Amino acid sequence: MGAFLIKDIMLLLRDRYELMILLAMPFLLIAILGFSLRGIFSGDLEALEMDLALVAEDNEAQGIEAVQSSIDEMNLPPENAQALKRAAESASPHAMLLSLLNSEGIRDLVAIEQMGREQAEESLEAQRVDAVVILPEGFTQSALNNMLLGASGGAELELLAADGSSSKSEVLASILEEFVRNVNFESSISRLSGAGDPVEISGGIETITAQEPITSFQYYTVGMAVMFVLFVGSAVARQANLEQRQMVFERIRLSNRPPLLYLSSKAIAAASIVLVQLLLLFGLSMLLFQTFEADSGTFWLGIALISIVLAFSVGCLAAFMVALTLKVESDAVPAIFSAGVISLMAFVGGSFVPLDGMPESIRAIGNWTPNGAALSAYFSWMLDPDIRQLTGPLSRICLVGLVFLAAALAIFPRKGGAA
Amino acid sequence: MLETDKLTKKFKDTVAVNNVSLELKKGESVGLLGPNGAGKSTAIAMISTLLKPSSGDVRLHGKSVLKEPGDMRRVLGVVPQKIALYEELSAYENLKFFGRLYGLSGNKLEQRIDYVLDLVGLADRKKELVKHYSGGMQRRVNLAAAMMHEPEVLIMDEPTVGIDPQSRNHLLETIRRLNHEEGMTVLYTSHYMEEVEKLCDRVYIMDHGKVIAEGTKEELKAILSDQETVWIEFDQSYPELFKKLSEIEGVQHTDAEERSLKLIIPKGMRLLASLFHEAERHGAQVTNVHVQTPTLEDVFLRLTGRTLRD
Ligand SMILES: Nc1ncnc2c1ncn2[C@@H]1O[C@H](COP(=O)(O)OP(=O)(O)O)[C@@H](O)[C@H]1O
Ligand SMILES: [Mg+2]
Repeated sequence: MGAFLIKDIMLLLRDRYELMILLAMPFLLIAILGFSLRGIFSGDLEALEMDLALVAEDNEAQGIEAVQSSIDEMNLPPENAQALKRAAESASPHAMLLSLLNSEGIRDLVAIEQMGREQAEESLEAQRVDAVVILPEGFTQSALNNMLLGASGGAELELLAADGSSSKSEVLASILEEFVRNVNFESSISRLSGAGDPVEISGGIETITAQEPITSFQYYTVGMAVMFVLFVGSAVARQANLEQRQMVFERIRLSNRPPLLYLSSKAIAAASIVLVQLLLLFGLSMLLFQTFEADSGTFWLGIALISIVLAFSVGCLAAFMVALTLKVESDAVPAIFSAGVISLMAFVGGSFVPLDGMPESIRAIGNWTPNGAALSAYFSWMLDPDIRQLTGPLSRICLVGLVFLAAALAIFPRKGGAA
Repeated sequence: MLETDKLTKKFKDTVAVNNVSLELKKGESVGLLGPNGAGKSTAIAMISTLLKPSSGDVRLHGKSVLKEPGDMRRVLGVVPQKIALYEELSAYENLKFFGRLYGLSGNKLEQRIDYVLDLVGLADRKKELVKHYSGGMQRRVNLAAAMMHEPEVLIMDEPTVGIDPQSRNHLLETIRRLNHEEGMTVLYTSHYMEEVEKLCDRVYIMDHGKVIAEGTKEELKAILSDQETVWIEFDQSYPELFKKLSEIEGVQHTDAEERSLKLIIPKGMRLLASLFHEAERHGAQVTNVHVQTPTLEDVFLRLTGRTLRD
């Protein structure tokens, strides 16, 4: 077995053409697609830069005054009343919204311009701004009433967004959600020191970037990696065909080694090559494009697990292709596979474009390709490192691998006799 | 020790090998001579258990090897017609791989590699990739690879096709030495009769899938005992004279070259008188005449009416 493995891997390393396909091509594509398609993925912040019109129909100072005078009317002990009045000034939601929009991480993303409602609506119409946030009349007063005095019926923000910029308005919505959560947070703190029942503090303060959606480089590193591992199947099958044509295969048969040894060596060689290939692609992408953060051990453990399962499956696929290639005695099998089948599998597997917008049928097929299943496993791990989410895709990858393996064994001549 | 019994292989529309019965005794060197397409390679593939016969049997020490090819494969060293090597590996790496297939390892493996490389005279170039070798060197490694597991019988399928004379001589000499000095049993396939004549004790001549003659070289040449081959050289080319000579009554076959002419005539025919008479009439000078002993090529010509090289 060792002899076969060393030989198979040595042959591949000396084959510049295959190395180009297996390593250079995917890396090039990661670079090209990663750069040029920056922006279609939510993780690419630059693409989300937006202009925001802020319409303040509310008079902030008046609102604060109104709240402060209602505090005076409450006949609280003087220190408490004083504290609440100060809180009303410092916790003004209007100011808080502005400071949130000016906070780090968001400041670079959202350019704010204050304007009147009519002008804002016009600008939105003319697409000079991407969205409009309106603070309606009485906003400050009702928000503070709600926050500090526990009055019901909080203030409402209005968000107007132009069509077709859904990812942007999503981001904005989440910023505003963040804001509302912030306001709640403030309110509960304020009320702890004041009257009324404290409401439960909901979580900490998250920043928008903490969610880490997929970037274009991450997307295409994974997409190209899971696509180009399939070429290992072709490479190994092509090698088998060469062995058959050059009659080295006959020589191997003459040595009277169990033919299954030959087949399993091909599968193991393919799997090892896939692992090395994945290591290099992920590693290079990380080094050159800062695609991933290097420091999380658990993160890489998950990636390694998925990679190993994928390598196993591609090994089985390679065994099947070798068996088929030897059976039909032609290199048409690897040729057709690399010229057409791989692209097809890559497409339905989501290597080029995300499958979100695809018909259900394509997504279902894609889910059952080893590359498609691996792709979704990688992404789900990146977004949420929860091992339970991996069982679905990983078992699909394994199952497909086993089917290939069974098919390979069925068509591979196992008897050592004259055939 | 090794025999085939009415070995037959039918492909869709051709009978490639037709009722061929061969025998190899231990230590013997046997030639299988025949033109391209005669069925030599097909016969060898069946003998070496790589191809299933349509009918007939292959036996080693009297035991059929068709069901259990293991014994045969251990005994045989097969040198295929094609260069059955990894071009992207060096000679050394190829031999190492094939040696390990036969269970060799460590020191024993290295020693064996050194031995076979020495045998084919490539010890000093073993690190070069096979694809960078000349055709002749590739053929030599092809032989070396078949020798890795110390086979008792060496089966060679046209091992000298397309190589330079030097490599060819080296190869033939190596095979002769293995046969004479190490008692290796050899089955040598070729369409070059000189090689077979030089190497082999006994010869089977194949054509169209059948063995058309067999025996020692002398036995085969006796087929031609009623003929002579006369070879005449002139000072220059005389096409008209050559034509005239070939038309002399009794001349059975002529083969003209630039300044020489080969005539096959019945034994005892008196050719020389008419030869010099005609030469004088054309003002030609005969520089050399000799009567050749028949070759296996001539035997084949006689048996089939064709030359081996057609
Ligand atoms: N796999 C095959 N399928 C069909 N015909 C074949 C096959 N192999 C050989 N033949 C035919 O059998 C005949 C003998 O071929 P071969 O054994 O290669 O002859 P040789 O080695 O003497 O040149 C040829 O006519 C060839 O075309
Ligand atoms: Mg042949």
